[in-house]
Amino acid sequence: MNAGIRSLVVAAVAVAAWEAVVRLGLISAIILAAPSDIILAAASDGAVFVRAFATTAIEIAAAIVMTWTLGIVVGLIVGSSHTLASATTPVLSSIFAVPLIILYPLLMAWLGIGPLSKVVFAVLSGFFPVALNTIDGVRAIEGRYIAFARSVGATRLQTYARIIFPLALPAIVSGLRVGTGLVVIGVIVTEMLASLGGIGFLISYHRTLFNTGHVYFGMVLALLMAVAVNMGLTAIDRRIGLWRMREENS
Amino acid sequence: MQIIEVNKLGKNFGAGRAHVRALADVSFAVEEGRFVTLVGPSGCGKSTLLQILAGLIAATSGEARIDGERIRAPMPDKIGMVFQDPTLLPWKTALANVEFPLDLRGVDRAVRRKRCLALLDLVGLREFADNYPHELSGGMRQRVAIARGLAQDPRLILMDEPFAALDEQTRTRMGHDLLEIWERTRKTVFFITHSLAEAIYLSDMVLVMSPRPGRIIDTIAIDFPRPRDIDIIGSEAFGQIRNRIWHRIAQAQA
Repeated sequence: MNAGIRSLVVAAVAVAAWEAVVRLGLISAIILAAPSDIILAAASDGAVFVRAFATTAIEIAAAIVMTWTLGIVVGLIVGSSHTLASATTPVLSSIFAVPLIILYPLLMAWLGIGPLSKVVFAVLSGFFPVALNTIDGVRAIEGRYIAFARSVGATRLQTYARIIFPLALPAIVSGLRVGTGLVVIGVIVTEMLASLGGIGFLISYHRTLFNTGHVYFGMVLALLMAVAVNMGLTAIDRRIGLWRMREENS
Repeated sequence: MQIIEVNKLGKNFGAGRAHVRALADVSFAVEEGRFVTLVGPSGCGKSTLLQILAGLIAATSGEARIDGERIRAPMPDKIGMVFQDPTLLPWKTALANVEFPLDLRGVDRAVRRKRCLALLDLVGLREFADNYPHELSGGMRQRVAIARGLAQDPRLILMDEPFAALDEQTRTRMGHDLLEIWERTRKTVFFITHSLAEAIYLSDMVLVMSPRPGRIIDTIAIDFPRPRDIDIIGSEAFGQIRNRIWHRIAQAQA
């Protein structure tokens, strides 16, 4: 038996055991949905879940773009001024330490329970680690690189885009990892709290109805989304990893 | 024609009680095409003077001109810089690093490639064009930095202790090779070092700077024939010049 077949068999046995445990009543179906319940949920309400998945994916994508842009731009600007950095870093770090979810009721009152309040909340939670890491990355750049940039006549924009940004990139990417994770959590959690669409909403809705199969199917979809985002980040990190190694030696 | 003219230049750092006089009343001139070295003890203000010439910092008093033009900002088309640290961009190959200043100015890719390969050839690194900085030795990285300093075809190269971080052997070799490059390009070189032997071996003229506040306390023409042989370092004439500089600095320190 080769490795592929062996793992298929192991998986099949595990799923069968899972199904049996629920069917035999060893664990209540309200707590643990049987695989067949999950498949049934997908079959009966697949279209609803696909729509919800699209809503959540769009919210996450929009929030990621805004978090990255805002965090990196603010970080580059604040990081390149000693005064600005030392004045704002303690404030930014303290806000980052607050559980921002306490602000969500306010955002909901201001922006409604639609996607906008989700995206804004997600950006708010992802922004701080991205900005703080970018600031650190820029602060760590040695003055000689800036002197070099000036001596070759680089414009301010060129200095940021072609020297400061790439030098700070390894630190920025660490910030993106943390910040992006928080964006995904932020969108799904706020959907669970109050909304009319999205995967988080479906999970929360079916939980109140004890449709455990639907809840599990929603969780699987949310997991898929998180895995996809993480794969994207890992791909970026791998490219930067090579570069980090290079940097240490020059 | 005088490419560098410095007149009663002064520089203070800080204000009030904490203020430091880095340079006081510095005056000298450098003829175009010469190799001129500024020597002085550590902390005497050599680097400050170089940064003023590079347009990176402003003088407090007096004036400095490059090619007749008063220095207000960096002049990348007239001045090439080589720092103590090569300051190469780690994500770019040797060739891309040399091309970088031209790339910033939007010089056509084919033009700059041809020109920069020729410069890498000049510094003996043609076959390392596609290597990254971390794949090169310290001396090779500094050669790349020299090629980059020449990329915009400046008339003047400012070098701030470029070989200070290298071991003795490499350092001597680099000095020798720098002279070869200089003889082929005939750019004016303004070189800073605290090594008296390096200064005398390389230069047409040595400017001696006192401890802080830095002043020019001696100007010595060096007329050993060129191309120079490394053996002159052991000669009696060489030793006399070295002693003279050494005593001038020691007097000023006392």
